[in-house]
Amino acid sequence: MRSKRRVAITGIGPIASPGIGKENFWRGILLKKTNLQLEKCFINGELWGEFYLHKVENFDISKFGINKDRLNDIREWKEGEEIIDLNYLIAAIKLALDDSKVEYDKEKNEIALVLAHENLGLMPFGLKVSELSYEMLIGKRRKELPKKEFFDKLYRKFLKSGYDVQTFADLFHIARVFGVHNYSLFINNACASGLYALEAAAQIIKNNQAKIVVVAVSDHPDIYKYLWFRDLGIYSSDGVIRPFSSDSNGLAFGEGGVGIVLEDLENAKRRNASIYAEYLGGGFDLEGWKITVPQIGSNSYQRAILKALKQAKVDKKEIELLCPHGVGSSSIDYYESKAITDIFGRNSKKPLITTFKPYVGHNLGGSALLETAILLLSLKNNIIPPTLNCDNIDKRFGITLVTEKIEKKLEIVMKICCAFAGFNAAAIFKKIS
Amino acid sequence: MAEDIPQNLEDEIKQLISDITGRSVEELKPEANFWKDLGIDSIKAIEITVAIERKFKVRIRDEQIPQISTVAQAVKVVKEALGKKMKDEK
Repeated sequence: MRSKRRVAITGIGPIASPGIGKENFWRGILLKKTNLQLEKCFINGELWGEFYLHKVENFDISKFGINKDRLNDIREWKEGEEIIDLNYLIAAIKLALDDSKVEYDKEKNEIALVLAHENLGLMPFGLKVSELSYEMLIGKRRKELPKKEFFDKLYRKFLKSGYDVQTFADLFHIARVFGVHNYSLFINNACASGLYALEAAAQIIKNNQAKIVVVAVSDHPDIYKYLWFRDLGIYSSDGVIRPFSSDSNGLAFGEGGVGIVLEDLENAKRRNASIYAEYLGGGFDLEGWKITVPQIGSNSYQRAILKALKQAKVDKKEIELLCPHGVGSSSIDYYESKAITDIFGRNSKKPLITTFKPYVGHNLGGSALLETAILLLSLKNNIIPPTLNCDNIDKRFGITLVTEKIEKKLEIVMKICCAFAGFNAAAIFKKIS
Repeated sequence: MAEDIPQNLEDEIKQLISDITGRSVEELKPEANFWKDLGIDSIKAIEITVAIERKFKVRIRDEQIPQISTVAQAVKVVKEALGKKMKDEK
């Protein structure tokens, strides 16, 4: 029998280029604060590469009132290295819990935890392997360094770090920070991770595993990620994300993260929580064609959107605002616009469509949830921020974007995402009066 | 059983690309660049890849897709894929 439990969103804790914390973040969105900067990467003083990035300003993990002992335990685990996206996750969870005003025992509570990240710890690990490999090889000519000796030294040096890229270690440490002993989960569905995480969290509540679930995502881009996207030909040369535009030239990263608190609706009402929206449901489809290229002509994305409408018991005509993935890469934008126009019609006046990547950059595994946070704030405030950088919308796509701020009473909104590997997802939210 | 490599592979590929892009078969010279010479963009390139996979029952790797920028390269990729398939099935 289908659960009658309903799921509310009661806390939002964003960390991104427009600002840290809900108030600063929303203010930054309204001021169109993108903080796009050129990030340079040096090795031994030599420039290796540079890329545009939406940067987070003034982030200091010690300023969030988090248990210092737990943070020190994490520093010890990471041998003194500060892993920035791990810190973003922790801070985002704290911000979200503070925003929700949930009272919880910080040593042991019944909150559940769902984390999502594409590759937490992988990049620092990769850089350390590169560093050690170089140190070991430059000192000796290759033929004088037995392979077994090299492999043995690499294993001993990275025994710890190698286990570190297994995400259960991150889940363990972050759960300890917040005294979480209930259900916990780590999710990776590429850029759609956040929507999969929301659905997982909702199911935890509907199945009565927990009354409150914190979902958190983050990303901190670095040179290896940039080089990978650059070699795919989809990193913007000027850092400007132009969604659905004829002059788009790719994406630019955005660092940061967000925490969102989901809660059993009755529980939220009992404690007079401030409720952003009800999570009505999500739809998911795995295309299964390629990792980095969407299958033009498939109906996978359409299926995900239709499934979400069915799960939410919402007619497509009721969706007032739609926030697509809006990457700013022509083939992905076309794929997405085809799905949108197949369901909602070409240049349809409803739903209104706006995208948020030009504000916060592409947060990769965190993007769907970070942009959901902006969508929820738009719903709460009845303000639709315009899509930036879209002076030349490609008419082939049949999409009309919001290009000026609109103040409009909103009730039902939808976030959709077409991720790498064909993870297509959609989620619907409704304001509760 | 894997398909043998068709004798008229280039003609079949040209026809496939012509059907998708609207360009005539005559315009599709083996070395003409899809983007620079024929105005075939990345969206059409993906459609061409989908159609090639379906027609010849091969799998093209992600990183090969941007390489298919001329008819000659498309033929080369399909030949390699068919050859690999025949080898795997032996």
